Amino acid sequence: MWESEVEGKRLTFHLAGINNQNFIMRDEETGTWWQQVSGEAMHGPLKGKKLTQVDNDELTFALWKRENRQGRVLKPDERVKQNYETADWEEKYAKLRVITPVDPNDKLSPRTLIAGLVVNGKAAAYPLPALEKSRLILDNVGSDRGVTPLFIVLGDDNKSVRAFERAVDGRTLEFYVKPGISPIQLTDAETATTWDFTGKAVSGPLAGKQLKKIYALKDYWFDWKIYHPGTRVYTLGESPPQSKP
Amino acid sequence: MNTTSNSQSKTGKSGRWKFWLSLLLVVAAVVAMVAIPVFVIMPFKAQTAAGVEWSYRLRRWSPLATVAATILFLTLCVMLWRGARWPGRLAMPALLAPLLAVTWFARQNHFEWMFNPLPTADYARAGEAGSVADSDMVMAIEINGDAVAFPVRQMAYHHVVNDVVGGKPITATY
Repeated sequence: MWESEVEGKRLTFHLAGINNQNFIMRDEETGTWWQQVSGEAMHGPLKGKKLTQVDNDELTFALWKRENRQGRVLKPDERVKQNYETADWEEKYAKLRVITPVDPNDKLSPRTLIAGLVVNGKAAAYPLPALEKSRLILDNVGSDRGVTPLFIVLGDDNKSVRAFERAVDGRTLEFYVKPGISPIQLTDAETATTWDFTGKAVSGPLAGKQLKKIYALKDYWFDWKIYHPGTRVYTLGESPPQSKP
Repeated sequence: MNTTSNSQSKTGKSGRWKFWLSLLLVVAAVVAMVAIPVFVIMPFKAQTAAGVEWSYRLRRWSPLATVAATILFLTLCVMLWRGARWPGRLAMPALLAPLLAVTWFARQNHFEWMFNPLPTADYARAGEAGSVADSDMVMAIEINGDAVAFPVRQMAYHHVVNDVVGGKPITATY
């Protein structure tokens, strides 16, 4: 999801091709070719420019609706409705071929779904199967430019993923999912505040606080790793790397 | 050189094969120019950075090149027509057909034939969106209090939706 203005000029994008299974878009104003996943101009008059990302959540409709009663939903295009993906499209896509080189030492298979994020210039990937098992993963992501304590959490629909910074007023908290509650609720070990899936403290000592959201992208591992070489892949049971004070 | 025997002095017999060769080369060149990116930029095939770059260049210039080629082709035809026999006169439209075809194709976006773009983005209220199931995934954004959901099943077809959310021009991509 991108802002479509570049240097004050509004661009209109079109699907224009495919580059190793990630699509290329072309803007009709300048004819520049852009890579969809990275927002980078590959060729053309705006080569080297990068689109500004608009952070988006990938949620189930039910969860989004719960949070946004006043929201609006894109309507289907009646002319092409029959061409839309069927409800089982995720299973279908998971079986598709991958044409980029496969590393035999890779811990993940190419079509594993991951939630990827980039913090302080460091990329981390959390495989969905690991998230399904642990539901919430505490982590610290960063480099010498700084380390950010964060957590990534899977919603009770088993599909929606969100990530948040877990430092509140300079204090790093350890978050847990409260068992057996729907909609999902979180709590932290330090203050026992109750938090909801939007990162808001709904009751307890920190009530009213809002956690800072971190943009996480659900993507296939083969696609993510092309654009984020050097990604650290989380393995189940791993304890978070130490955050420096 | 025999300049007196024939009235078609400009394209005297000895040089005519060069014009015919030019005719063929013009057609072959633009057909290749238009066809190469189609084969390089194909789903389920690996692309190289150089392949993509060349495809961009060819796509960038083919609308202009195909028109220039058509003009050149027709000029050559006019020069060759009067001295040509019937096989030659038949060859001209036979070569013109692929030339016109690629001139037209150079102006098309065949990816949008397969995945129609959305002409205008229309929206339903959250509670009234009958086409979306509760378990369907949506891409959700909120800008200046304007919360919008793009159902993934629709986005996986259109791939690109240009619109304004919360006063900001955005492009939703999937």
